[in-house]
Amino acid sequence: MDTQHAVADTAPVEANADGVESRRDGSNKIMLGPGDSLDGKLNYNGHVTVQGQAQGEFRITGNFEVGSGATVKALIEGSNVTIKGDMEGMLTAREKLTLGKSAKLNGDVTVKRLQIEDGASFNGHVHMGSFEQSSGS
Amino acid sequence: MTENETSVVMLGPRDRLIGELYIEGNLRVSGTLEGQIEATGDVDVTEAAMVKATVAGREVNVSGQVNGAVTASKKLVIGRSGSIVGDVRVPRLIMQDGASLSGNVSMGPKVAAEFAQAAAAEAAAPVEVAAAVQSATDGETAQEKQKPKKR
Repeated sequence: MDTQHAVADTAPVEANADGVESRRDGSNKIMLGPGDSLDGKLNYNGHVTVQGQAQGEFRITGNFEVGSGATVKALIEGSNVTIKGDMEGMLTAREKLTLGKSAKLNGDVTVKRLQIEDGASFNGHVHMGSFEQSSGS
Repeated sequence: MTENETSVVMLGPRDRLIGELYIEGNLRVSGTLEGQIEATGDVDVTEAAMVKATVAGREVNVSGQVNGAVTASKKLVIGRSGSIVGDVRVPRLIMQDGASLSGNVSMGPKVAAEFAQAAAAEAAAPVEVAAAVQSATDGETAQEKQKPKKR
């Protein structure tokens, strides 16, 4: 049983074996370049940066960044979320949401902290504070 | 020419206003305010202020507590100690880290065009001004027409 479980855990990504960190800074990262696109559901233990296009549902433990020029249509849940491009959908930032000056956000947000820079555009509802949803994973 | 005479209303930390206030000029609140306020100029809500009112102004700065809808025809700045509970309608919004906001936010060029239209309607009396504003809004209404959803 134990071995089976261990095999199942290590099989998909070799770097995820116990005690081995895939990056020197100790955290996983997904980086989608300007020409890249992602469509689907992602549960991820690490940080995600999108500079191309992304669509779907992303629940990540780390930080999520939508670069300038990026187009994201998704449900996003992350720790710190930074938006500099176009984003549409529900968003939850367990720590902080930052809207950069080139950001365009359409959708409802649930955040602990919120910072909006001059020039950013935002339409939606803001809910600040509690996080009942994120506790059960 | 519109700003030859601007009055400034200041409410100190121990002052209180309950009711409806309209001023052609600027407002600075440090005390308690309840009801409805509208200023043609800038509205400043300082750290000590407790505002339970709908607030309308050109440029609105919030460093205190506001409970009510806020509209700014130019921009809204929520300082790090500021807190707004209510819906916000502004063309530009700046929110500093630490500030708190709960409510609906509507902003962007569409909202800006609406404010420009309202200003044009109000300035209908002096003909030259109205014409100037009208020509300025023409560009924005053209922009607005591109969007299918138009209120």
